Amino acid sequence: MRTRPRLFVSYASEMSLLPTWTQKIAALVFLGVLVAIPFGIIPGLGFLADNDWLKILSRVAIYAIGALGLHILSGLAGQVSLGHAFFVGIGAYTAAVLGGEVGKGVWGLGLPIWVWLPAAGIVAAVIGALIAPTAVRVRGIYLAIVTLGLVFIGEWIFRSVAFITGGSQAGRKLPRFEFRIWKEEMPLVDFTTDGTWFGVEMTSEAKTYLLMLAFIIVAVIIAKNIQRTRVGRAFMAIRDRDIAAEVMGVAEARNKLVAFALSSAFAGVTGALLGAFIGRLVPETFSLLMSIQFVAILLIGGLGTVTGTLLGSAFVIILPRLVQDFTGLLASTVETGTGFFASVAGIFVSTGIDDPGIISTLPGTSPGLNVAQFNVLLYGLLLIGFLIFEPLGLYGIWIRIRNYWKSWPFTY
Amino acid sequence: MTTTLERVDQPDLSGAYRTVSLMVRERFHSTPDAVAMRDKDLGIWQERTWSDLWEEIVVTAHGLLALGMQRGDVVSIHSEDRPEWVIVDLAAVAIRAMSTGLYPTNPMAEVQYLVNDSGAKIHLAEDQEQVDKVVEAGPDAFPNVKTIIYLEPRGLRSYDDDRLMFWDDFQDLGRAHRNEHPGTVAATMAEAQPDDIVTLVYTSGTTGPPKGAMLSNENATFAIETIILAENRTADGRMPGPHDMVLTYLPLGHIAERIMSTWTMCSSGAVLNFAESIETVQVNLQEIQPTLFFAVPRIWEKIHATILIKLNDATFMKRLVNGIGYKLAAYIGRSRIKNGGNYTIGARLAYWLGNPLMFRALKERVGLRRCRWAGTSAAPIAPEVIEFFMGFGVPMVELYGMTENAAVATLNFHGSNKVGTVGEPYPGIGLRLDEETGEIQTKHDGNFLGYWNKPEATAETFTDDGWLMTGDVGVWVDGTHLKIIDRIKHIIITSGGKNISPSEIENSLKTSPFIKEAMVIGDGRKFLTALIAIEYDVVGNWALSKRIPYTTYRDLSEKPEVIELVQGIVDETNEKFARVEQIKKFRMIPKELDHEDGELTATQKIKRKTMEDMFSDLITEMYRP
Repeated sequence: MRTRPRLFVSYASEMSLLPTWTQKIAALVFLGVLVAIPFGIIPGLGFLADNDWLKILSRVAIYAIGALGLHILSGLAGQVSLGHAFFVGIGAYTAAVLGGEVGKGVWGLGLPIWVWLPAAGIVAAVIGALIAPTAVRVRGIYLAIVTLGLVFIGEWIFRSVAFITGGSQAGRKLPRFEFRIWKEEMPLVDFTTDGTWFGVEMTSEAKTYLLMLAFIIVAVIIAKNIQRTRVGRAFMAIRDRDIAAEVMGVAEARNKLVAFALSSAFAGVTGALLGAFIGRLVPETFSLLMSIQFVAILLIGGLGTVTGTLLGSAFVIILPRLVQDFTGLLASTVETGTGFFASVAGIFVSTGIDDPGIISTLPGTSPGLNVAQFNVLLYGLLLIGFLIFEPLGLYGIWIRIRNYWKSWPFTY
Repeated sequence: MTTTLERVDQPDLSGAYRTVSLMVRERFHSTPDAVAMRDKDLGIWQERTWSDLWEEIVVTAHGLLALGMQRGDVVSIHSEDRPEWVIVDLAAVAIRAMSTGLYPTNPMAEVQYLVNDSGAKIHLAEDQEQVDKVVEAGPDAFPNVKTIIYLEPRGLRSYDDDRLMFWDDFQDLGRAHRNEHPGTVAATMAEAQPDDIVTLVYTSGTTGPPKGAMLSNENATFAIETIILAENRTADGRMPGPHDMVLTYLPLGHIAERIMSTWTMCSSGAVLNFAESIETVQVNLQEIQPTLFFAVPRIWEKIHATILIKLNDATFMKRLVNGIGYKLAAYIGRSRIKNGGNYTIGARLAYWLGNPLMFRALKERVGLRRCRWAGTSAAPIAPEVIEFFMGFGVPMVELYGMTENAAVATLNFHGSNKVGTVGEPYPGIGLRLDEETGEIQTKHDGNFLGYWNKPEATAETFTDDGWLMTGDVGVWVDGTHLKIIDRIKHIIITSGGKNISPSEIENSLKTSPFIKEAMVIGDGRKFLTALIAIEYDVVGNWALSKRIPYTTYRDLSEKPEVIELVQGIVDETNEKFARVEQIKKFRMIPKELDHEDGELTATQKIKRKTMEDMFSDLITEMYRP
C-alpha cells in the first residue's frame, strides 16, 4: 500500500524489488547517474569520464557479473567455492573458439557476439552441472578443497590445449565487442572504435562502458529474481541447514546442482566479456588468485546480498587504482618534499635499492613489495578484518546506518 | 455464482428496517469491489471485498436456516476475532436471529453457563481448544446445542461427536439451501423490526453471574447514529468512511469492540482489519496504521510504557534528541489540556518543531501516525496517559457508556476535550445524575430491552420513571462535562466515614510502567492499603539491569529491591492525594492474575470480592495492629 509501506496484501507486493515510490525514484536517479558518467556532466563525478576510469568501471561491471554468480552459489546456497576462476576460463575460451579468428595454431569460428556470449554461459553451466554431482557429496572445508583442485586441474588443461588457448605465456586473441548479424564485413555496431552515437562524440571506452552497464543491469535483475523465487528460497534453506531443508521437501542434490550451473553460467559470461575486454588472455589468468578475488568481493561486500556483491566488486577492483595513486602521491612527497609528511611517507615507500619501505616505486630494484603484491597483501588483511569486525561486509555497514535512522527515535 | 446472487438479492429492500446486515448489502450494491475486510493469513493481509463478504454472509445465513435456526434463536460464538465471527454475527441478524459472543479465555464452567443461559442452538467454536470446552462435558451438559461448527479442523478429525460440523461443510450446506430456497434470506430481511434482538451481550460479572443484555436493532441504529456518526468526533472533522482503517483485536463480544469495529464497518464502510492475535497487536498496528483506533486503558498503558522504556534505552544521540522531543511533547500536552484539547499558538509551534524531530517517527513506530480519532473507554484511565499521547499529536479522547445503554452516554468531542472527564452527553439524549447518590442515569433509544430471561434483574436496573441506572457515580465538571468517580459498589467508606474512590488512586499507581494492577482496600477500615501486581517483563528487565537474580514471578515480586521500587511509586502517588486517601501499607500479589483462575473478568477487570477472599491473609496481615 502506498501510504502504508508495511501493509502487504499480496506476496507479489511483499517481494517487489522496489516497493516504495521513494525507492523507485532513487533507483532511477542512480541509473541516470551511471548512464551519464561517460559524458562527464555530473558535478563532482567528472573525473570518471576519463578513459582510464571508464576502463576500471567496465572492469567492475564485468567482475560484478561473475561475483553475482558466486553470490548465488556461496551467498545463497552456502556452497564455498574456490573454483570460480575455472568457470570464468571456460567461458573465456568458449568465446574465443566461437567468436575468435583463426590464428597461428588456434581454432576460431568467427561467429557474432549473440552466439559466443550466450554460448560461453551455457557451456560453463553444462560443465558446472557435470562437476556438481562430485561437489554435492562434500560440504564445508572439503568442498573448498575439491574446488581448489578444480582450479589447478583447469589451469593445467588450459595450458595443455594450445589449439584453443594459445598455450602458456603466449595466449591468444579473443573476439571483440562488435555486433554483427552474421559474418558480414562491417559490424552493425562497433564498440571498439571511437565514433558518434546519436550525434554525440564517444570514445571506444565510453561505448564499452555503456555496453557493460547494460550487461550488469541485466545480470542484477536476473540475480535478484533468482533470489526471490522458489529456487532462491530453496538455496537459502539449504544454506541455513541442509538437513532441515531436505526434511521440508527441498531436494538438496538437485538444488545444489542448479546452483552450480547458474553460478557457472554467470562466471562463463564474465569470462567471455573479460576476454573481449582485455583482448588477449594467457591461461595463467584463471588462477587461484582470481578465485580469491571473487571470494574477496563477496566477503568484503557482504555475503548473501546483491547490493553487497556490487559494492564489493567496486571496492576490490578500484582498490588497486587507489593504492597506485596513493603510492604515487607518497613517492612524490618523498622526492620533492621535506618535513614531517615526507618523512612519514618515507617509511612506507621504498624509492631505491638502499631505501627500506613497504611499497616499492621502482619494481625489481628496491626491497619493498610492488603495487600488485601489496594489493594481494591488502586483500588478505581486509578479508581478515571484515570477517572479524564486520562479517556482513560493506553492506553490513550500510545496514547499520540504515537501521539507525529506520528505528528513530528508538534503538530497537 | 453472480447470477444466483443477483437472483437472491433481487427484492428491493429500501423499505425494510435498516439493520446492520442491510447496511452491508447496500455497500455490496454500491461498491462491490471495494475492500471491506483484511485478515492476516500466512503473512499476507488477505482482502475481502464487499461482494465477497456479502456472498459469505448470505451463504452463512442460509446455512443457519438449514440447521433449523428460526427467528429469535441464538447462535453462540466462541472464537478469537476473525472474519467468520463477523460473518456469523451479521448472518444471524439477517435471518432475525441473534448472536452472543464468548471470550476465548472463558473457562469450561463459564462456557457452560453462558451457552445454556442464552439457550443457543448453534455453537461456533474456533478450534480444538474451544470445542473441547463443550464436547468434554458431554451432551447432557448442553441440552440446547444441536450443532457445533468449528473453524480450525486441526486435531478434530478423530472426534466422533454427531454435533460437530466443519465450517466448509456448513458453507456447502448453506449453498445447497440457497439453491433450494432462493430469496429466503432477503425475504426475512424485509420483515425486520426495530425491536428484533440482534445480540446478547453478557456483562462481565464482577458481582454475581453474568447477565445477557438484549440489544435490539433500534439500539444498534441509535448507537451507530449517535457514537459512530457523531459530529465533531474526529480531529479533522470528517465523518468515518471507506477511507478509514480500523484494527480489531479486542473481543468482538464486547459492546465497545462491536461498535468500534463491526458496526463502524457496516455503517461507514471503513475497512476492518483483523489483528493476528493480542500478542501481535503492536506489529499489526505498525502495518495497518489505523485511522480510527479504540483501545481499553490496559492497552494504552502498555503502549505508553513501551514508548517510555524504548525512549530510555536509545543510544546517546537519540536520547539527547528524545529528551528535547519529550519536553516539547510535555509542553504541548499541558497546554492542550488547558485549552480544551485545542492547540494554542505555542503548542502549534512546538508541534512543528517536534514533529519532524521525532513525533512523526515515534507515531509511525507505534502505529498511530495516521490516527484521526483515538478512543479509550471501558475502564478508568489516568489523565497522565491521555496527556502523554496528546502531546505527541495523537487525537486521544475518553468516552463513556455501558452495555445496557448501547454504550451511548458521553464523549469528549473534538474541540472541547476535558481530560480527566469522560466528556459531554451526546446531543439530545437523556442523561442525569441522581440527586441523592450521584448515580448516572440515562434514557434514550439505546437503552437495552432488558436482561435475557431475567425480568427481576431488568426491573432492578430501571428507575420507576424508566431511567437506566448505570451503577456509576459521577459529578459535573464546569456544568458541561461528566467525571466518573467510581462504581457505586466500589466506593470505599472508611471507618472514619470518609468516601473514597479507589479507582482514581489505582489508576495513578498504574501510570508507572512497573505496575500492572493495583487494588485499593479500606472499606470500613481505619486506613487504606493496597494489593499491587508488577508488570512482569518490565520489572524483569529492570532487575536484569540492576543485576538482581530472580526465578519466578513470585520470587521477583518479593525481592526487597522490588518492594523498595514499588514503595517509591506508592510514595509518589500519595503526594497527589489527601491524607485520608493515602496508602499506608501495601503487599505484593504473589501470582500473575488470570481470567481462568477467577481473579479477573474476561475483560481483564479485577473481581474485588474474589481478590479479597483469595488474598485475605495478606489483607489481615496489613491491618494487624
